[in-house]
Amino acid sequence: MNARARSIARERLQGAGLDFALPYLLLAPAVLIALAILLYPLWDGVRASLFFYRYGKPVRAVGLDNYLRLWTDDQFINSLWVTVRFVALSVAIETVLGLALAVFCVREFRGIRFFRTVLIVPMVVTPVVVAIVFRLIYASDAGMITVLSEALGGQPIEILGEPTRAFLALVALDVWEWTPLLFLILLAGLQSLPVEPLEAARVDGAGPWRTFVDHTLPMLRPVLAVAIVLRTIDAFGTFDQIFVLTRGGPGEATRLLSIFGYDTAFKFQETGYAAALFVTMGLLVLALALAAVRLLRRIEAAR
Amino acid sequence: MTDRSPLQRPLSRRKLLQASAGVALATALGGATSTARAAGGKVIIGAFADGGLTPFKEKIIPLAKEQLGLDVTFLEDDYGVMLEKFFTDAQNKAGQYDIDLLDDPWVPQFGAADVLEDLGAAGIDGTNSDWIGPLIDMGYWPPRQGPRVKGFETAPPKLVTVPFVGDLQTLTYRNDVYTGGAPATWDELIAKGKEGVKAGKIKYPVVFRGVTGNPIVTSWYPVFLSFGGDFFDDKWKVIFNSPAGKASADFFVGAMKQNAPPGVVEFDSDQEGAAILGGDAGAIIQYSGNAIKSDDPTQTKVAGKLDFGVVPKQVKAIAQLGIFIAGVPKSAPNKANAIAFLKWYVSAATQAKLAEAGSIPVTRSGFAVKDPGNRLIPVALKQLDAGALPRPRMPDWAKVEEILGIQLNKALQAGSGGGAALDVAAGQVTDYLKQAGYY
Repeated sequence: MNARARSIARERLQGAGLDFALPYLLLAPAVLIALAILLYPLWDGVRASLFFYRYGKPVRAVGLDNYLRLWTDDQFINSLWVTVRFVALSVAIETVLGLALAVFCVREFRGIRFFRTVLIVPMVVTPVVVAIVFRLIYASDAGMITVLSEALGGQPIEILGEPTRAFLALVALDVWEWTPLLFLILLAGLQSLPVEPLEAARVDGAGPWRTFVDHTLPMLRPVLAVAIVLRTIDAFGTFDQIFVLTRGGPGEATRLLSIFGYDTAFKFQETGYAAALFVTMGLLVLALALAAVRLLRRIEAAR
Repeated sequence: MTDRSPLQRPLSRRKLLQASAGVALATALGGATSTARAAGGKVIIGAFADGGLTPFKEKIIPLAKEQLGLDVTFLEDDYGVMLEKFFTDAQNKAGQYDIDLLDDPWVPQFGAADVLEDLGAAGIDGTNSDWIGPLIDMGYWPPRQGPRVKGFETAPPKLVTVPFVGDLQTLTYRNDVYTGGAPATWDELIAKGKEGVKAGKIKYPVVFRGVTGNPIVTSWYPVFLSFGGDFFDDKWKVIFNSPAGKASADFFVGAMKQNAPPGVVEFDSDQEGAAILGGDAGAIIQYSGNAIKSDDPTQTKVAGKLDFGVVPKQVKAIAQLGIFIAGVPKSAPNKANAIAFLKWYVSAATQAKLAEAGSIPVTRSGFAVKDPGNRLIPVALKQLDAGALPRPRMPDWAKVEEILGIQLNKALQAGSGGGAALDVAAGQVTDYLKQAGYY
C-alpha cells in the first residue's frame, strides 16, 4: 500500500468516526478496571443484601427483609447511636482544635516549620499501633494512668471497663490521631486566603478576634466544610482502634457500626444481613455528604 | 571441506527423535522430582496464638520433621481473627492452610458449611477406644449425641475434625493461701482467699476475664455449670436463665467481682495471667496456656506456690472443655501430607511424646505416660473424670456467646443484676434463633 492509499484509508476511518471513538477506546481499559473494582463489589454487596445466608451460603431471596430487620434490631440501633455520637463528638473537637492550631501556625516565626511537622506526626502512625499504645496508657492493671495514680497514692483507674470513660477514651484517641488532618487542611486554607480584607479590617481598627470572626472565618468556611465532610465520612468507618482497644465493649458502649458489621459478617456469617447493614451505612454517609455539598453551594451562593 | 556450525547442520529424523526423547525424559524426571518434593513434605498449620500450643511448637514440630520428613509451617494470629481467616479460606477454596487448628465451638459452623474433609473416610478411626470419649465426640458433625439443628436431623455424623490438644479448665491456686489443698466450693474459695488477703499473701482472692464476648462467658461457664445450669433443652429452647443459672450469674457479677482486682471488667487473658503469675491473685479457673507457666521462674513471681486442682463446685464440679481441634479444609494444598501428619499425631506414640512435652493429650494412652512433662496433666484427667462439658454443639454459638457476653459484661460493670442480664440475653437469643430457623 503506497502513501497515497494509506492516506485515503486513514481519511475513510476518520470519516467513520475514529477521531470520535479514539479517546473512548483509550479510556476503555481504565474504565473497565474501575468498574470491576468499584461497581462490581458494590453490586455484589447489594445483591447479597437481598438474600438470607446460612453457613456462609445464600439460601433464599428475602427481598428487603434484611433492611427491615435492621430497624427492629436493638444491637443495630445501639451501634448506629454510638456511631453518631462518636462521629459528632470526635469531629467537633477535632475541628475546633485543628482550627485553633492552624490559626496559631499560620504565622511565621522561628521554629514554626518544625512545630508544624511535629503536629502532623500522629496522623501518619498506623491506627493499630496507636491503639496498642493507648491500651498501654489506659489499662487498669498496668497502664500509664494507673501507674501514675498509684504513684500519687491513688487507686487504679478503670477506663476501659466503664462505659462512659471507655467511650470518651476512644474519642480522645481519635482526636489525638486525626486533629492533624483538620489542622493540615485548615492551615492550607488559611494560607490561601487573601490578605487585603484582613489588613483593611486592621486599618479600620478591628482587633484580632473581630478580624477572625468577621473576616477569616467566613472566608474559610468552604475549606472548613470540605474538611468536616471528609473527616466525618472517615470517622464513620473507624474500626482498627476499637478492634484493638475495646472490641466494642464494655457491654456495647463502643460498638460502632463498623464493629457490629464486621462481627455480623465474619463471626456470625450472616452475610446478607451484614451486606444490608453496610449498604445502609453507605447510604447514610452518602446522604450526609450530599447534604454537606448542598450546604457548601448555599454558602458559595451567599458570598 | 566446508565445516558448518552445529546450528547450520540439517536435523535428521533420528536426531529429532533422540532430542525429543531427551526432552521427554528430562521433563519426566523434573516432574518426578517436583512430585517427590511435594510428597516429601510440607504442611501448613494455622492456629490462634495460645500458650497451650507451646509444647507442640517446641517439641512435636521438630519430631514431625525427624520422623515423617515433614516441614511444618506454623502460622498463628490473634484468636479474634482466626475464625474469619479459616472460614474465608475454606469457603473461598483459597488453599492457605492444610490444617486448621480450630477452637472446638467452631466445628459446627465449619461442619454445617461442609468445607472440611471427612477424616473418617480418610482413614482416621474415630471409634478407637484410646480416644477420650467427650473429646472425639466434638470432632463429629452432626453430633453423635444430643440435639441437632434443623437440616441435619438425619445426616450421618462425619469425623470432620480430630482433637489436637485436650485443653480444659482447671483451678490454679496459691498453696500458701489454700493450705488444705484446692478449695472444694466457691464459697471456700472466696472465704479462704479473703484470709489470704488479710494475711498479706495476696491482693485479691480470685481473678477472671471480664471482657465482653467470649472471655467473660468462658470465665462464667464453670460457675454456671457448677451451679447446675444448662443452656438449651433438646428443642433448642433457651433455659440458661433457670434459677440455677441466675444464681450463678448473680454470684459471678457480685461476690466474684468484689473479690477480684479492680478493672476486672476489662481483663482478658493477659491481665488475668499477670494477676495470678505475678502473685496478686489467690485463684483462677483457666486453660493450660497460662497454667503451664506456673513452675517457670522466668514467667512467674510465685514459682512453687501455685498448685492445680479440680474446679470448685456448688452442686457439681464441672469445667468447660475447650480443646484445640484439627480440621483439613477441602481446599488444602497439601491434603495428603496433612492427613498423614494427623494420623501420626494422634498415634499412641506421638501422644505420649506430646504429654512428655507438657501438653494435655487427647488419648487415654497419652495420659498414662510415666513422666508427663507437666504436673497439670494428671489434674486435667481428674477434671475429666469429675466432669467437663463442651459448649453447645450449634453453628450459632458465636452469636449466642456474643449476646450472653454483652449482657453479663453490663451486669459485671454494675456489680449486680446477673440474673436479670440472663433474662435479657434469653429473649435476644430466642429471637435470634427463631429468625435463624431453629424453631
